[in-house]
Amino acid sequence: MNYVEPSSITELMNYVTTVEDYRCLAGGATLVAMMNVGLVEPELLISLHKLDELKGMRIDQNVIRIGAMTTHTAITDEDRLTGNASLVRSAAGQIAHSAVRNMGTIGGAISHADPSADFPAALTAANATIEVLGPSGRRVIQIDDFFVNYLETSLTEKEIVMAIMVPLSPADAIGHHLKFSRVDGDYATVSVSLALAMEGRICSYARIAVGSVAAVPLRLKEADDILIGSNLEESEIARASELLLKSSDPIDDVRGSSSYRKFLIPRLIRQAVLQSKKELSYT
Amino acid sequence: MMETISLTINNEVHTVLIETRQTLLSVLRDKLFLCGTKNGCNHGVCGACNVLVDGKAMRACLLLAITLQEREITTIEGLSENGELSLLQKAFASHQAFQCGFCTSGMLISATALLDHDSTPSISKIRHELGGNICRCTGYVQIIDAVKSVCEGKTDCT
Ligand SMILES: Cc1cc2nc3c(=O)[nH]c(=O)nc-3n(C[C@H](O)[C@H](O)[C@H](O)COP(=O)(O)OP(=O)(O)OC[C@H]3O[C@@H](n4cnc5c(N)ncnc54)[C@H](O)[C@@H]3O)c2cc1C
Repeated sequence: MNYVEPSSITELMNYVTTVEDYRCLAGGATLVAMMNVGLVEPELLISLHKLDELKGMRIDQNVIRIGAMTTHTAITDEDRLTGNASLVRSAAGQIAHSAVRNMGTIGGAISHADPSADFPAALTAANATIEVLGPSGRRVIQIDDFFVNYLETSLTEKEIVMAIMVPLSPADAIGHHLKFSRVDGDYATVSVSLALAMEGRICSYARIAVGSVAAVPLRLKEADDILIGSNLEESEIARASELLLKSSDPIDDVRGSSSYRKFLIPRLIRQAVLQSKKELSYT
Repeated sequence: MMETISLTINNEVHTVLIETRQTLLSVLRDKLFLCGTKNGCNHGVCGACNVLVDGKAMRACLLLAITLQEREITTIEGLSENGELSLLQKAFASHQAFQCGFCTSGMLISATALLDHDSTPSISKIRHELGGNICRCTGYVQIIDAVKSVCEGKTDCT
């Protein structure tokens, strides 16, 4: 295996276009684990850690641009992630443990597209967009179109995630990522991500995504629409949950059976909505 | 492919011939014979291979050595100074915070990173931060007590 560390986008694209069998290396928390057991052994490993454009966060016109190589720790510590974007911070802090958060990156996490990971659901609820670069240039992918199947994204071959853009607005929204796992730091059995805003007693904004219950994060506009304009009464929350539950298709695995996951879905949604409602009524 | 790289480990520069796909864990143990860092699961779950990279705890089994040439690495062998154990190491000894000892170096690295960041963590924060290190002997109580004793300034190192 050859190893390179391009320091410019031109250099990066040169490798990507000329080598057939390559892999990009971000934090390595998934890729190196797969290499250790012999699942992947690319001819060329391209480290992304010298590319300045993939680093750091900046705010532009009410949208925070998070470079693909930003670690989970840096996101957890970022106090400019406010309003709607606070959801992303909430999720980052619940991923694994410090030693993994110090390594893993948001770009690596979404490119791997594990439906039980935390960012896919959180970024779906946060209405993010993904900036990608390929041999034919740049494009932006709406998060609802990014995850295609288990471990599969809509990135075409040779495309690389450059940044994740998260709107800060609604500025008065609060975001929660509610994660249920067997032990602290494990992948979620089920997670619920929610951005919510209220005007007085009326819900003015809601976007819910459920993680770990289907091949991709589960989000239904119809469910959000039930909550928006309502008082977030128990019956309304139950109706929205019912829709999401019906569309879920969880697998049986070591973290829980399909039926147990279905048992959790409405309970976690209710808890996430009521917790957010309570917090908003104090602000 | 083989390549010669330089790694700064415990303030010492080591020049070593490695395979490009070799992890830091493998280089530490198999090339440099710094065997205090343990190989438990080799996929990031158990915490036995924790090291500090630029002061932050990371899994040596998930880091490729070749990516670390400009970084400062600290292993368990680097926690003592001039042969004197660190306060945390002394506290682990006095609290008998180990049985087989396999998890100890990883635990000490996590605890060192925690106290560098927050010198007075609550018990629940200590438990949370050590949650990424698996111990199959002690039941964790003595380990948490040892860390807590250092925060409270009493190491009981008799
Ligand atoms: C013990 C452990 C526990 C974990 N627990 C959780 C958890 O609770 N929740 C959770 O959400 N995650 C969890 N993770 C996953 C982890 O947090 C990382 O998100 C994950 O490892 C991927 O990020 P990375 O930067 O390490 O990517 P890498 O391992 O470097 O790469 C992963 C894949 O993405 C590709 N890739 C990387 N960057 C890009 C890019 N910019 N563009 C295109 N492709 C790219 C790589 O080629 C590779 O195929 C855990 C991991 C471990 C090891």
